[in-house]
Amino acid sequence: MSTWAIEAENLVKKFPQRGNPATQGNSKESSDKKEKKSHWPRFKHKPKQLFTAVDGVSLQIECGEIFGLLGPNGAGKSTTIRMLCTLLEPTSGTARVNGFDIVKQANEVRRNLGTVLAGERSIYWKLSGRENLEYFAALYHIPPAIAKKRVEELIERMEIKDRANELVEKYSTGMRQRIAISKALLARPPILLLDEPTLGLDPQAARNLRELIVDLQKEGHTILLTTHYMEEADLLSDRIGIIDTGKIIALDTPDGLKQRIGQSEVVKLEVSGWYEKIGEQLRQLNGVENLSAHKADTDGVWEVSLHSADSRAILPGVVETVNHNGTHLLNMNIVRPSLEDVFINLTGKALRD
Amino acid sequence: MTTQPFTRSLANPGAGADLRSLLAVVRKEWLIFVRYPSWIIALFIWPIIFPLGYILTARALSGVDGSGLAQFQANTGLSDYIGYIAIGTTIWMWQNIVLWNVGFSLRNEQLRGTLESNWLSPTWRFAHLLGSSFPQLFSMFIFLTISALEYIFLFGVNFQGSLWLALLVVLTAIPSIYGLGFAFASLVITAKEANAFVFLVRGIVMIFCGITFPISLLPTWMQPLTNWLPQTYIIRAMRSATLSNAGLDAISHDLGMLLVFGLLWLTVGYVAFNWMERRARQTGAIGQY
Repeated sequence: MSTWAIEAENLVKKFPQRGNPATQGNSKESSDKKEKKSHWPRFKHKPKQLFTAVDGVSLQIECGEIFGLLGPNGAGKSTTIRMLCTLLEPTSGTARVNGFDIVKQANEVRRNLGTVLAGERSIYWKLSGRENLEYFAALYHIPPAIAKKRVEELIERMEIKDRANELVEKYSTGMRQRIAISKALLARPPILLLDEPTLGLDPQAARNLRELIVDLQKEGHTILLTTHYMEEADLLSDRIGIIDTGKIIALDTPDGLKQRIGQSEVVKLEVSGWYEKIGEQLRQLNGVENLSAHKADTDGVWEVSLHSADSRAILPGVVETVNHNGTHLLNMNIVRPSLEDVFINLTGKALRD
Repeated sequence: MTTQPFTRSLANPGAGADLRSLLAVVRKEWLIFVRYPSWIIALFIWPIIFPLGYILTARALSGVDGSGLAQFQANTGLSDYIGYIAIGTTIWMWQNIVLWNVGFSLRNEQLRGTLESNWLSPTWRFAHLLGSSFPQLFSMFIFLTISALEYIFLFGVNFQGSLWLALLVVLTAIPSIYGLGFAFASLVITAKEANAFVFLVRGIVMIFCGITFPISLLPTWMQPLTNWLPQTYIIRAMRSATLSNAGLDAISHDLGMLLVFGLLWLTVGYVAFNWMERRARQTGAIGQY
């Protein structure tokens, strides 16, 4: 048996795509070198375009570890997880889950995995919570007597005993997510794949779910977690792989990643009246290495992050540049770098862009 | 309570485990089916509405004194034109409902978001499609029973054959009707929508299987095509068994052909499903809405 819970080597996934390649995405290629000539001139064979969703992902996850896969929407997180749980076949590369090959031993892989994809939509709303769990227990080939016991245990643990016989359509999003996670735990798989598990949950439900994830790790589960919430990845993960445009661009512990950018501090600004030219001027200041700006929830206020090897040295220039032509500096903080700052440093863009 | 992982999987793959999975799918489909009770109305209404249009047309065309019915009898050998139409339209409705229900069962799972959850389990994947057809089949038995009762008590049809022979026709019809449904289910997952194909198939059945008229009235060049459609044999065998008091010998050829078509369509349905399942793993079609 492998020493790694999950190991992937150079996983690549390409999807055929329709449309004009000149106007789409950045990771495109043609599957045919030249356009094929047709005997019918009006029906030219267009070369098939391929979109590379995952581009050579390699990773090794230790048994008992929480591994966070962090990246913006469309970075390739879900495609990677879908390959690992056998829903997708890789175009090239290999991966093993608990020692089983994801293509050649797909059924063994499924027996060793508990997966939560699509959250609350992954269960039946016209069945009760208990009926859902009984159904999925049968699909995972759990003998009836054991299934009955486990369903009751999970209902108890997830604190839905009073409402276990109600239809799921009457549950809150948080309760549905707990049923989805219970479903993944029914077969007591050694490895859990959780794809954006707190997406759409209210803060309290998200906090409860994070506590549950930590408890599951303590019980011995290996957990691969995808998220685009950097705080969540930071809080839960033993190690984090940052993924962007289908590639893992950094992989380390949360602290290791933060130390990598070589800065102990980041300057955070809140600015009103922001316009793009100010960003260009700030980038040109001596000592400013990276800048990202996005509109805050408040009307007209922008949040700006400045990366510099010596944050304090750039402050006078920053204040002078920002307070100009009707633009006002509303707030300024010097903070320790977050994973968002790591991502900005690596890619030049914010996670939410 | 703990969810401490087992080092050895509890899974006990094999026929017994897959049979339990299949039964779980059947139970789940049944529970969902009965929780949308509007289908009960359709069960009572459609057997009246759909044939009625054809019956009234036939009555209009037969003349004030019904003299035109002699021509119908000459063409079909039957005097009960209402029973003739009722049986043809009922078989058409059965195939139509199967195309919509069984044919779209996987697509409905996909739209709900539950198809991936099912696909993630180690169970035999065809069980999801097969299991969805059993509650549908049960509801169709209810539909056929209600239809027969309405034809007798509302339309005055005089069924005179053996009930057991009629049941035998229904049983031999199942493989070909549901095999076509399985093939459709795979097509729908691949094409995302297949309404046009459903309309095409039911249009072909309507014209080429003679649901309301004898096939002999079709143009000569069209008639050989009718032999390639199992619904032709179902309708003919059912009319013989229930309207002309035919025995097993008289319909044995039709039943034999139905079994051949059943084997063919079940094979096509299973092969299409496996092709779709393989293709979906390459293209990601399972998770696409």
